[in-house]
Amino acid sequence: MAEAMRSAVAQMLTGIERYNPENVPTLESYVDYQSRENTYDLEANLAVLKLYQFNPHLYNTNITCQILLKALTNFPHTDFVLCKCLLNEKHLAEPQIAHIMFLADILESCDFQEFWTRVHSVPDLCSQITGFHDSIRKFVCHVVGITFQTVNRSVLAQLLGGVDDQTLKHWVNKYGWREEENDMIFIANQDENIKTKNITEKIDFESAAAIMAASR
Amino acid sequence: MPRRRGRAQYQHRAEWQNVMFSDESCFNLCYNDGRTRVRLYRGERNLRAFIVKRHSGQTLSVIVWGVNVDNMRSRLLRIQGNLNSNRYIREVSEPEVLLLFHNYDGYGYSGSLEYDQHGGDPHAESDYDRQGYNNIPDMVKRFLVYFRNCISEGLIFEIQNLYESSFPKLTEQFFDKKPWPEVSDVAALVDNDAVFLILYKELYYRHIYARVTGCPTVDQRFQSFYNYCDLFNHILKYRLDPIALELPDQWLWELVDEFVYQFQSFAQYRARVQKKTPEELEKLHNNNKVWNVLCVLNVLHSLVERSKIKRQLEVYASGGDPDSVAGEFGRHSLYKMLGYFSLVGLLRVHSLLGDYYQAIKVLENIELNKKSQYSHVPACQISTSYYVGFAYMMMRRYSDAIRTFSSILLYIQRTKQLFQSRTYQNDQINKQTDQMYHLLAICLVLHPQCIDESIHQVLREKNFHEKMYKMQYGELSEFESCFVYACPKFLSPAPPPADAPPDYDYVKEAIKYQTRVFMDEVKQQKMLPIIRSYLKLYTTLPLSKLATFMGQGENSNWNLNDGMKALIIHLLCFKHKMKNVVWTKGTSGLEGKFQSGSELDFYIDHQMIHIADTKVAHRYGDFFIRKILKFEDLNRKLHMIKI
Repeated sequence: MAEAMRSAVAQMLTGIERYNPENVPTLESYVDYQSRENTYDLEANLAVLKLYQFNPHLYNTNITCQILLKALTNFPHTDFVLCKCLLNEKHLAEPQIAHIMFLADILESCDFQEFWTRVHSVPDLCSQITGFHDSIRKFVCHVVGITFQTVNRSVLAQLLGGVDDQTLKHWVNKYGWREEENDMIFIANQDENIKTKNITEKIDFESAAAIMAASR
Repeated sequence: MPRRRGRAQYQHRAEWQNVMFSDESCFNLCYNDGRTRVRLYRGERNLRAFIVKRHSGQTLSVIVWGVNVDNMRSRLLRIQGNLNSNRYIREVSEPEVLLLFHNYDGYGYSGSLEYDQHGGDPHAESDYDRQGYNNIPDMVKRFLVYFRNCISEGLIFEIQNLYESSFPKLTEQFFDKKPWPEVSDVAALVDNDAVFLILYKELYYRHIYARVTGCPTVDQRFQSFYNYCDLFNHILKYRLDPIALELPDQWLWELVDEFVYQFQSFAQYRARVQKKTPEELEKLHNNNKVWNVLCVLNVLHSLVERSKIKRQLEVYASGGDPDSVAGEFGRHSLYKMLGYFSLVGLLRVHSLLGDYYQAIKVLENIELNKKSQYSHVPACQISTSYYVGFAYMMMRRYSDAIRTFSSILLYIQRTKQLFQSRTYQNDQINKQTDQMYHLLAICLVLHPQCIDESIHQVLREKNFHEKMYKMQYGELSEFESCFVYACPKFLSPAPPPADAPPDYDYVKEAIKYQTRVFMDEVKQQKMLPIIRSYLKLYTTLPLSKLATFMGQGENSNWNLNDGMKALIIHLLCFKHKMKNVVWTKGTSGLEGKFQSGSELDFYIDHQMIHIADTKVAHRYGDFFIRKILKFEDLNRKLHMIKI
């Protein structure tokens, strides 16, 4: 179903048709669909924002909010910035949008604890996006996965939004991490990926051949 | 001889006198030009015995060039080395053809080139405004007639020469700050040749935009738009047959580029509500289709579609022959190149509207890092890289941005001499180059990375280090000023609302907004350079120690526990921001893998930060090569001295 819709919408967005304002209702309902069914289609969402940009009278705050929240769920990709670039100063002044901008800002800064507090303070905003919290947790796990070799259990639970033991275990298993003694969690052996690089100059024969031939 | 098309129409001797024949020919000292020579006597055609075959292998050759007009001919010019279009203009056309032009007059030749005495079409004569017509200098008249003939005959090298060299020269001599002659005055000179007049108008308006003070007026903007409509309608009007027109690629590029530029210029003009009279505002309001963003996109998309350029590029990228999928239109050089340049035009339009995703996406199947059969117009290459690099930077793909900028800046460094002689392209190229150095400096501050030594050299020489130093130490105003200088001139696609408050600045609105988006990103990253500067000093560093360093200068309320918490956040942010999508392979610039390309990286194990830096060994190769060459040179000079 999702795939069929995706390709139908992709068809709708080829060539100049992309800018046809008559597509707006279809595309907007596709945004609703993504929020409901936890699917994601950046390209279609950008097309909606572009249509709003070209036809300011069609602008719809609720749809825009959904698109922005969906973009948050696709961190660490920079989809949110791409969406933000298609808005304007006036949109950012709207309270709902401003709030999402603030959420994005603290999420980008990786202040996860603050992020969860803020999200919990406005439950309505994010509840319209199915799977919102878990998508953010995926991003948290991504950042944890590249930063730590071992991390304290309670720190991790906090980063994931103060989750209980059961949920923590779920995420640890999902990413193949390992619980160790002293309340530590082993993430991965980072020495293999993160090591000092030495860049030395390599001169191959070809690049020296010309000068050698010339100075015979 | 490739230039025979359309000669049949010159039936009278007088008209033949208007025609110049030029060609170059290569004479090999051994027969190794890939041709098999056959001496043809009647009845002996195709007899094997008469085919002369020669050896293949290295051989010497002489290229000569010459021109014939009526009863005159030029010197025979010897051409050394490879003849490309730039050399052709510099060494062949400019000195030789223009000389011949002058001599032509000097010989007292006043036949059919002088239209005053040409009474062929009495209606045409009464049609034009005599006054305006007479004001056209003779040299310009001759130029226009010759120009038109070259275009209708498809003399591509000659057109290129006239376009790139003669036109700017005549502009400087006669029309420095004023417009070229009115189209109505020119029409009679060229037998009302509709296609030529459209092309002429394009140049006419382009010149007005570029050089004439106080212009363009709102009417000129409208007229220029309608002329582009005429031009593109003419090109796209037949569904089945391509039109028989050939123009040099340089011209086609500048045509598309100018079209987008005038759109951009119009959007800015429209946004300046304050300085307009009510009549002007009303006129703009009533003609909201003119320079409408959809029209512009429509033209560019139509050219892309008609030429099937996307399919061609796809096949080309996979090693196939693009002609096999090009179709009737796409095989035609005019359509093919217009299609290609339209992709770059779309890249620019999307960038101006802040749609960076589409900007990069539109260039799918173009491998920027590779030389290809489409990449021979330097201005186009440079412009493409500028917008692509910028879009990457906004998408936080710093590695890709740095790669894009450094490779084009290296290219500019190496080929600078080639386009330095063409002054009219120079200003734009220089500006864009400087902008790219600024963007590169920004990217290198945000994402320190090894780059080519010679680019580093330029950054040093041009004093970018001071700017970079300021940015590293968190001076936000420096980031902002570099960004504002170097960014494209963003647009709002919709006109300002009718009830616009008159004191609001709509021109700067879009630039301000994009700057804000960028500055938000910079602010999120503002602690990273500081952390980086500490980490650089160690291979391992306890979290608590770094937290203490960071806490220095904070007020007395600072305690280690909070400091550690804040530090973890910054470190997570560091890792997040430095791990970005980097293009690795394939033909889509959007795809890539997450990589940490920056020179410093780390991980946290228990309470300890383990740091991995990049060490770059000193490079000797370039240094020695330079010294060797210098020595050789000195040696040669010493040998030349005769005592």
